[in-house]
Amino acid sequence: MLKGSLRKLLNALLLMIAVLVLNFTLIHIAPGDPVEALVGEMGGATPELIAELRSRFGLDQPLYVQLGTYLGRIAQGDFGHSLYYDQPVTALIAERIGPTILLVTTALFSAIALGTVLGVFSAQRRRSVLSHLVTVISLAGFSAPVFWVGIMLILLLSVSVPLLPISGMSSADSAASGLFYILDVLHHLVLPALTLALIYLAFYSRLSRASMLEVLGSDYIRTARAKGLPKRMVIYKHALRNAILPVVTFAGLQFGQVISGAVLVETVFAWPGLGTLAFESILRRDTPTLLGILFFSAVMVVVMNLVTDVVYRRVDPRIKAR
Amino acid sequence: MTGKKLLSVRNLEITFRTEGEDIPVVRDLSFDLDHGDTLGIVGESGCGKSITALSLLGLVPSPPGRISKGQILFEGEDLVQAGERRLNQVRGNDISMVFQEPMTSLNPVYTIGEQIAETARVHFGLSPAKAWARAVEMLDLVGIPSPDTRAHDFPHQLSGGMRQRVMIAIALVCEPKLLIADEPTTALDVTVQAQVFDLFQELKQKIGAAIILITHDIGVVAQMTNRVMVMYAGRKIEEGPVAEFIRDPRHPYTRGLVSCIPRLRLPPDDHPAPLFEIPGVVPSPWELNRPGCAFAPRCARAMARCRTENPVLAPLGDGRAAACWLETEAAA
Repeated sequence: MLKGSLRKLLNALLLMIAVLVLNFTLIHIAPGDPVEALVGEMGGATPELIAELRSRFGLDQPLYVQLGTYLGRIAQGDFGHSLYYDQPVTALIAERIGPTILLVTTALFSAIALGTVLGVFSAQRRRSVLSHLVTVISLAGFSAPVFWVGIMLILLLSVSVPLLPISGMSSADSAASGLFYILDVLHHLVLPALTLALIYLAFYSRLSRASMLEVLGSDYIRTARAKGLPKRMVIYKHALRNAILPVVTFAGLQFGQVISGAVLVETVFAWPGLGTLAFESILRRDTPTLLGILFFSAVMVVVMNLVTDVVYRRVDPRIKAR
Repeated sequence: MTGKKLLSVRNLEITFRTEGEDIPVVRDLSFDLDHGDTLGIVGESGCGKSITALSLLGLVPSPPGRISKGQILFEGEDLVQAGERRLNQVRGNDISMVFQEPMTSLNPVYTIGEQIAETARVHFGLSPAKAWARAVEMLDLVGIPSPDTRAHDFPHQLSGGMRQRVMIAIALVCEPKLLIADEPTTALDVTVQAQVFDLFQELKQKIGAAIILITHDIGVVAQMTNRVMVMYAGRKIEEGPVAEFIRDPRHPYTRGLVSCIPRLRLPPDDHPAPLFEIPGVVPSPWELNRPGCAFAPRCARAMARCRTENPVLAPLGDGRAAACWLETEAAA
């Protein structure tokens, strides 16, 4: 058990190093460098200044030297400075991670809860209106691009019926504090969270419906019925506990991918999270920030995989034995 | 006791809806069972024996299946008319069932103790502690060693034979009046099969429940039951006490079945003959809408009448009956 855990940690560590090297190489292979972007924003500069900037950022060194320097700094916990914000990357990420986690957890958890309920109900009544509705919604949710859904929701709930704010996380003019600030943030949260949740909802209602259908057809459900257990016990005790297993797996995996999931939604709604930051850093060739975010999201994936593993062991006794 | 039969199935018909048509898979089936009696139901795969068993518990998968005609009188009460609530009181309590597949019939995420105990909690209203104690007691009864620790095991930690013992414990925890065992040993190794049947024999004495044993193995029926009923293509074709049935099967199909049993000891002067097999295959339910005996196409002794008229079940005395025109004509 301990040996297994140790091996898992070691694997994770090796994986992280691989991710660092790969990210770094990929970004530097891509055309354009931060100095060009910077010079572009400055409206041009002399060749001397460009050369000086290059040497200040270490960009005149060969790639492997740059990589070595980068890895060395990471080992000391230094993720570098943002070229655009002139702030340590770690500080930037720390500042932006809160909004992203708020957005993603709200969307993901409401989608999992509602999606599971919908899936469970529609699996029980395969021919009902609700069941067909779930199929249609999940198909639409799967097929529609997230930014389009976001824009449509804006048109519907902000433009046609001006209920919700279009962008940002708080009202620019308000100096609200305490409870009013929280309410203001929640008000801003509704649209992006709804957009993201609709996508997840499509996925989870479909997943739990399929999983529940499979479980309901299994022999042990027939046993449970033959024992004379009331229907709610058959469904919620015997079937759901088994049907929830794939939901747990995917929830863990998707939570690990918070940032990639949120980039589009955050961009559409100008939500000040990591997704927006990542998007901006790409446009600005802010390599240290981008690398920091990529590394951070890789860490999230690895950590969430480990967490999923632990949770899974708790839900499914068969895993423990191995 | 009121003198009523424990179970009396009357003219049962079960249909499955396929491509907009109701296809009968069990037709005009009637049989009785007394308290403490043991009945074997024998037949090939697809003859309707398992679905008959499920119908007794109101568990015919619906849709597409349903009981379209007939009555299932359990102590005089028609279970076909009973609602789901009433059926849940009967299931696992008055009538319980052991299934064919011990590997998949237990829920993988609950301990075996819990799976036995919950039945006792639901039907007897036992407290969790008492129900657990009862579960341990049942595990002991079905011959699981160190039952108080094994009760905490999950199904995947047990072998197939042990799992089937657990299924039997679940079936017996509420001391049912009728136990249905649907091919309880088909999925098990031969040596384990023998152990499970020994357990059935032993428990039969202890619990006094009536047993319906469904199997395709006539040897098992001979060993385990008093009476036997043979089904072919959804109908009962022969019925009678086991000893007479084995000694002198009447229906050509049953004769075929009995001659399919391999014999280990031959008379000294006898040459070992190849094992008999019945030619052809069981007709599918779709083919059964034509008139005549369903077995006629495979029957070596089929007459013209067999292809036009379905034979009626004719009593042969000593509680025996067979549905074959040969018997009817011999009696006439």
